[in-house]
Amino acid sequence: MSEKAQVSNKFKDFKANLTTRPWIVWGMGIRGFEKLFNLNNKIILSLVGIIYLWTFVFYVILAGDGDYPCDFIGTEDGKNFYNCKPISYYSDLQFGGIRIFLVTLAAIASSGLIANDMTDKSIHLYLSRPISRLDYLIAKFIPIFLLLILVTVIPNIIVYITQWSDAGLKINWIKEENWLLLNIITQGIIYSTVYSIIGLTFSTLINREYRASGAFFLFIYGTNIIVEIFHAIIEDDRILLLSISHLLDIINFFIFDKEFYFLSFGALQPLDIDDIYAIITLLVFVTSCSIFVNWMITNMEASE
Amino acid sequence: MGQKLIEAENVIKKYGPVSALDDFSVEIPNGKIGILGPNGAGKSTFVKIALGLITPTGGKITVLGEELSKDTIHIRQKIGYMPEHDCIPNNMTGVEFLIEMGQVTGMSFQSSTQRTHEILSHLQMGEEKYRKIGEYSGGMRQKIKLAQGLIHAPELIFLDEPTSGLDPKSRQEMLKTINGLTEISDTNVLLSTHILQDVETVCDYVIIVNNGKLQMKESVKTLMQKQNDFIQVRIGGNVDNFVKEIKKSMGNKEIITKDSILRIPYTNKKSFTQIIDASVKSNCPLYEMERTAVTMDNIYLEVVK
Repeated sequence: MSEKAQVSNKFKDFKANLTTRPWIVWGMGIRGFEKLFNLNNKIILSLVGIIYLWTFVFYVILAGDGDYPCDFIGTEDGKNFYNCKPISYYSDLQFGGIRIFLVTLAAIASSGLIANDMTDKSIHLYLSRPISRLDYLIAKFIPIFLLLILVTVIPNIIVYITQWSDAGLKINWIKEENWLLLNIITQGIIYSTVYSIIGLTFSTLINREYRASGAFFLFIYGTNIIVEIFHAIIEDDRILLLSISHLLDIINFFIFDKEFYFLSFGALQPLDIDDIYAIITLLVFVTSCSIFVNWMITNMEASE
Repeated sequence: MGQKLIEAENVIKKYGPVSALDDFSVEIPNGKIGILGPNGAGKSTFVKIALGLITPTGGKITVLGEELSKDTIHIRQKIGYMPEHDCIPNNMTGVEFLIEMGQVTGMSFQSSTQRTHEILSHLQMGEEKYRKIGEYSGGMRQKIKLAQGLIHAPELIFLDEPTSGLDPKSRQEMLKTINGLTEISDTNVLLSTHILQDVETVCDYVIIVNNGKLQMKESVKTLMQKQNDFIQVRIGGNVDNFVKEIKKSMGNKEIITKDSILRIPYTNKKSFTQIIDASVKSNCPLYEMERTAVTMDNIYLEVVK
């Protein structure tokens, strides 16, 4: 048998041993994460580096003598208000938070995930594979979610361990802060999920990578500013639910079971909003974004 | 005719008021099948429905013996797809892209890598497989599109206009590649095209679609046999008398009649004299007489008219 014929027989007899859908999706997600977190993505790596440096400087070195996780800051209308480090971590720079870096990272990292597949139309090839549209979306969600977990949950856990270490690694300390670790993980997961879904929505809606990141950034900060202006005029706290950053802050207070407030020009402003409104608004927002992305992809397939 | 590749029963697909497929029913046998039809006939819609990419408005479709609506995902493991439009990322090399496509289909990295190099060696890609796809020529891009559809050794591959946008030389090369690769891998082919020669070169069965309806289903061999020379005449008077006279002189050959126009098989140069004699004897004035040929083009044009 000639060499060519042998190659042909091998080619002909090939039977692909195919794995299951969950593994395909997980594999796509992990490969996507590797692409995001690779040495060529200098901006992403720089932002991750800045967040870790910021956390190290402001939450480890300059942590001060205040109580961890929450410092009592005052009483108003008979309610006690606290400044909790895991909550202020997600606030703006002037309050020691990393919000601007986190939003920038989420905007840049998520923008190309679906937009690039739509631009070069390779999305049609992915969707012709043995995966559903939802699988494809999950596979695109995994990389950005893991990247955001890396800058939300992990640094907070490092701070938590540092504080525990400062307390002499005593088991009692962990017992006193019974749910703290779970709260830190929960808030990180919520932030990462919400920003990932918003990122994928803009990546689908605007299939140009840089425009999608710009739109993401403007959406977060634009609504933040507009809502604060209207809040000052209307003086109804519920309007703050229309801004994702405020909504997430409110959810943060809810997770740590602390009274809601926000700081306006350094002054503490208590908020009068029912927890349930915040939770429902967040769920409606996330669900709407997911349905919208799925609809966009379905519509695109049909019209191609 | 053996196992059916695809069975479509009364499939309807509507986009608003427009019907892309209108009560479309067909049984597609194993082998290399061509779906032929003009642009907008409903070919690509049918392929996308058979892939489960779009949902039909009505009807039932079975692919490789499995009902599509029940387990689309499982059926896709056995199907490859080469879309019409350019849909490959420019920033990856040919090898990287095929490995990724293999893994997205469910293959392991090792298996996908091995199969990628095997396919690319069959496609004679050489060292170009390590170049970015953005630097490839149109023909090479088509080869990569074909390769990604065959990476997991599917039982059936859908080729949607595979020679679209290629120059004649690249087209011939592409058809040769399709024939070669699908023959050695023993893959069934469903080739959707509006180019007749592509079907003649690759397929052994043809389905002609127009306005979302099945117009014709025939083996390419039978169609080829229908290709012949004939003399087309237009006469006056009693056509039946003329036919009787012509049959007397030329034997009992099949004569196609449509009003006053007749198609008489061409045997040799004497055929013209025999027609003139028959015209005189039957008292039918002969207005026109022209030798012409039935080609697959004629058949196709008549069907889609």
